[in-house]
Amino acid sequence: MTIPQPIPAAKLAVKPAKARVGIVDVDVHPGPADPDEIRERMQMPWRDRYRGDRRSFYRHPIHGTRQDSMTAGVGPECSDPDLMRRQLIDEFGVAYAILIMRTFCNIHPDPDFAAAVASAFNVWLNDTWLSTHNQDGAFKGSITIAQQDPLLAAAEIERWAGQDHIVQVTMDSGARFPFGSRYYHPIYEACDRHGLPISVHPGTEGMGINHQPTPGWPTHYIEWHCGMSLAFQAHLISLITEGIFERFPSLTVVFVEGGVAWLPAMLWRLDAYWKALRIEVPWVRRKPSEYVLDHVRLGTQPLERPDDDRQLLQMFDMMPADRVLMFSSDYPHWDFDSPDRAFPKLSPDTREAIFSGNARALYGLA
Amino acid sequence: MGAHAVCRLSELPPGERRIVDVEGRSIGVFNVAGELYALRNACPHQGAPLCRGLVTGTMADSRPGEFDWQREGEILRCPWHGWEFDLKSGRSVFNPHRTRVRSYQVTVEPAEDEDPRIETYPLSVDDGIVLVHL
Repeated sequence: MTIPQPIPAAKLAVKPAKARVGIVDVDVHPGPADPDEIRERMQMPWRDRYRGDRRSFYRHPIHGTRQDSMTAGVGPECSDPDLMRRQLIDEFGVAYAILIMRTFCNIHPDPDFAAAVASAFNVWLNDTWLSTHNQDGAFKGSITIAQQDPLLAAAEIERWAGQDHIVQVTMDSGARFPFGSRYYHPIYEACDRHGLPISVHPGTEGMGINHQPTPGWPTHYIEWHCGMSLAFQAHLISLITEGIFERFPSLTVVFVEGGVAWLPAMLWRLDAYWKALRIEVPWVRRKPSEYVLDHVRLGTQPLERPDDDRQLLQMFDMMPADRVLMFSSDYPHWDFDSPDRAFPKLSPDTREAIFSGNARALYGLA
Repeated sequence: MGAHAVCRLSELPPGERRIVDVEGRSIGVFNVAGELYALRNACPHQGAPLCRGLVTGTMADSRPGEFDWQREGEILRCPWHGWEFDLKSGRSVFNPHRTRVRSYQVTVEPAEDEDPRIETYPLSVDDGIVLVHL
């Protein structure tokens, strides 16, 4: 057995959820202070292989994280829960932070190693941020999976579904097949059966075994980073046209860190093509844009902000934002969106939906 | 309004900074090669603690393929999104006309005698008090 044994359910105390007041942030990235914290949760042979692997290029040329998010003597960005609570939970009145770890496990050609890394991160998250650091239940967790072996990924989902504070599955958008491919069916089937949304996060596009969403390799970080939302568009077109939401009717896919303003124009285009080409994909029974209302959510960061806020508000109308958007900050990364400053003034209903209601409804948060 | 003491000049050598709270505002005071400058510690973008950012140089606008690194020690990068500001004026590098952070005048005044009964001799301007003017 190459993957650590599951934790017996008895060890996880299930506390009754007490409602927390405030906003919900659907994209926050905690990490271990040292790779040893992950390694010690791996079995051999994987324990010796893991070195805290990350992508080696397309790194921010100066600093990829907020420079005030590290604690000297403790660890790198968002490894100190006390600092994170001060800077995010307390500073902005965050009721729930949805935690998404950056494991970079889906880069590797070795599916077993990748699955072992994902599994060890899940054990670590449960041992720390979801339990010891979570007396008030503010932190909610995502089950990291590695797409290289969808059956192992489905087994990992089985292991954690229903555990306390687990609210979704997460995978990186770096891929060898667009996300509508039947290759991923075991993953979606497990999510659908357990009523777990799946969150897609960028960062490994073109890394290791994964394809770029661009025709080849961008030269600079700014190009690559700006192009990340291209992968999301490709994945979303695929999910809809391959009928994933017809096969798995309770599945919701959450795209985080791809911004939002690209959505309306892409859906106009896809709707127009569907009217002409539905014969090719007859399982797409509804207009493509209708699937988005029921099955897709977008984290708002990095929110596109034109010089004239009225233009962004018009785009919000087109989505519509109060149905499909959920606030995300991407703490502690450099392009963090401040809940207080990143948005134009919104109507109270829209603000409530984006900053709280949509996420609470999706993740079942009181 | 008025002048507020920050520290002694000897406590703020070239290349260093001090961040102080003055009349409810957080202000960063910088020594850039012997000259003193002060900026509001709040980035005009999203309110980040600007004065905790990297003090560095920047690339001047150039022709494609050319790299012209300049103004080492004169540029402040916001610790969040990395917007660059001229330490001396508070003007952003990307749009100096429209995007800037508030800057304040800084002077150095001789320290007053602490006990008039003791005869003291001012040593040098190094003992002066750095004042930021709101």
